[in-house]
Amino acid sequence: MNAPTKQISKRALSLWRVHGCISTGISVIVAVAVLVLTNLFSWPVWPSLVIGAVILLEIIFSIWLIPSIRWERLRYEVREQEIDYQYGLFIVKRTLIPMVRVQHVDTEQGPLLRKYRLATISISTAATVHKIPALDETEAEELRRSISSLARVAEDDV
Amino acid sequence: MMFEPKRLHPISAVLNFAKGLKDAILPIVAIFFFNGNSEGGFLGWLPLILTGVFLLIILIGGVVKWLRFVYWIDEGELRIEHGLLFRKKRYIPLERIQSLDFSEGILHRPFQLVKVSIETAATSGLEAEAVLTAIKRLDAKELEKTIYQQKSDPSSAESDAEIIEETSRSLVYQMTTKDLILMAVTSGGAGVVISGVAVFLSQITEFLPVGAIYNEVVNWLQFGVVIAGVIAAFVLIIAYGLAVILTILRFGNFSVFHEGDDLVITRGLLEKKQVTIPLNRIQGIRIDENIVRQPLGFATVSIISAGGSVKEGADQQFKILPFIKRDQIEPVLTSILPQYELEVSPESPPKRAKRRYVFRCIWLPLLISIGVSVFFWPLGLLSFIMIPAFIGLGMLNYRDAGWNIREKQLMLSNRLITKQTYFIKKHRIQSCQFSRSIPEQRGRLSSIEVMVKTGAGKTRARCLYLDQDDSETIMSWFQTK
Repeated sequence: MNAPTKQISKRALSLWRVHGCISTGISVIVAVAVLVLTNLFSWPVWPSLVIGAVILLEIIFSIWLIPSIRWERLRYEVREQEIDYQYGLFIVKRTLIPMVRVQHVDTEQGPLLRKYRLATISISTAATVHKIPALDETEAEELRRSISSLARVAEDDV
Repeated sequence: MMFEPKRLHPISAVLNFAKGLKDAILPIVAIFFFNGNSEGGFLGWLPLILTGVFLLIILIGGVVKWLRFVYWIDEGELRIEHGLLFRKKRYIPLERIQSLDFSEGILHRPFQLVKVSIETAATSGLEAEAVLTAIKRLDAKELEKTIYQQKSDPSSAESDAEIIEETSRSLVYQMTTKDLILMAVTSGGAGVVISGVAVFLSQITEFLPVGAIYNEVVNWLQFGVVIAGVIAAFVLIIAYGLAVILTILRFGNFSVFHEGDDLVITRGLLEKKQVTIPLNRIQGIRIDENIVRQPLGFATVSIISAGGSVKEGADQQFKILPFIKRDQIEPVLTSILPQYELEVSPESPPKRAKRRYVFRCIWLPLLISIGVSVFFWPLGLLSFIMIPAFIGLGMLNYRDAGWNIREKQLMLSNRLITKQTYFIKKHRIQSCQFSRSIPEQRGRLSSIEVMVKTGAGKTRARCLYLDQDDSETIMSWFQTK
């Protein structure tokens, strides 16, 4: 069984790195505050060291590693019979959603996503919701249209 | 007949009052015990007066609620109107009604009354679509009949003797008294285990290595442990006894009927309950075997149903055979759900998965033991004696995991504490997922999980650490039409 082939837009990678930068930025603000306080009240040094280590880890993981791994893993394919969707970081998950089970499809777009011309698509069945994040705007729109035309819920199956 | 607007039985005013009282019990108690100043006179009586007024309001509220509540059937709809200031009308088309659930409380029984909960497909969350607090049992039967006729043949809503004849119920299963008692006794399974452990612990303190220096401390400790043990055991025994009695009251007279396209479950000694499950809403079957009952050869069979509100059967998985010998499940179920094949021989995960099952069970206890040992050195080391138990649990988890495909049916079994076996038809599966963590990938293993609709939510069936090829077999089985 071959993994699905389609990947999401490269812009998603930049967006996730921006997310990482924002959270690192918050840590940096906290770190500066702690440094100032340490100087003012001659606190012990170890809190500053801990926060420094956290920032370093954040730069490595949330800006560099995690977005790339996530982007590399995230693949999807919409076929006539089903949606094949693979995602994950350290645990790779692959989900099959039969077209006849799809109840409805939504796309959503926050301010950051809009700036990067991306959109998130969520596919709902009677029991579950599956989200494919940060797709190209036009692609998401197209996908939404094609899924909703392919989806034919068999009513009596629920 | 049902076509005239009708009130509920007057007893429902009392029931409304009781319910109002239950909801307002905290403020009432607060007011009653509120004693701002202890002087006599008017202020001293104020709390009592306020409480009285409060009770009166609730009582009047209950009566008014009953007075203003009418229901009837007209133009193929069940119509309910209620409310004093805001008149609320709710019209439910009869063919939309999925099921009627009956229950009889202590107040209902002397007057031959039932409480009717009406469920539709739209029912989700905690409340039923509509509730008739207390109506005559005959009226309830009448209502049921009318709805059934409406659903089967909307053109002739008037009573038709033949149809009623056809839908007469047939008994599928009835729990014997012996099973009921055994079930009640084993239902506090956790309680038995805990009290067993408590006894074991109080024994073990006798054998503690008593060094001369620690003598005093250990003496004191032992005393404390014995007292605590005795109290704990006492509490546990009482709780256990209560659990046994409650189980007998709840599951007494348990029977399952087959009626038309529905399954009807009735149970309860003090409070009688009747639940209706439409057969076409059944999504799958789950068999539970807990650690106490499995060696005795008993299991619980639940039905995963897509309909109904959550509050009735816990998480909407109706126990249709709460306590039954493993080998009797098949004959009972084939009569009502012949499309399911329960006697299948499951395929196991590969041998190399055993390590992963054991690791999954012991990593947390190991961490805890290490923590305890560090903080309570050296007595904390004793916590390591529970590790073998968890290793055993891991082995058990490995042994009880399995999967099987039989034409359109998928069987998945797994255990954490209780062994759960799911039987699901392909067309009921909402989505199918397989996942591999990094160590799983190295061992060519992967886990399978499928989602099924239940009530307002979902149920997950899964099997861990299967051979890569087996998972792919399941996935491609799911893909093919």
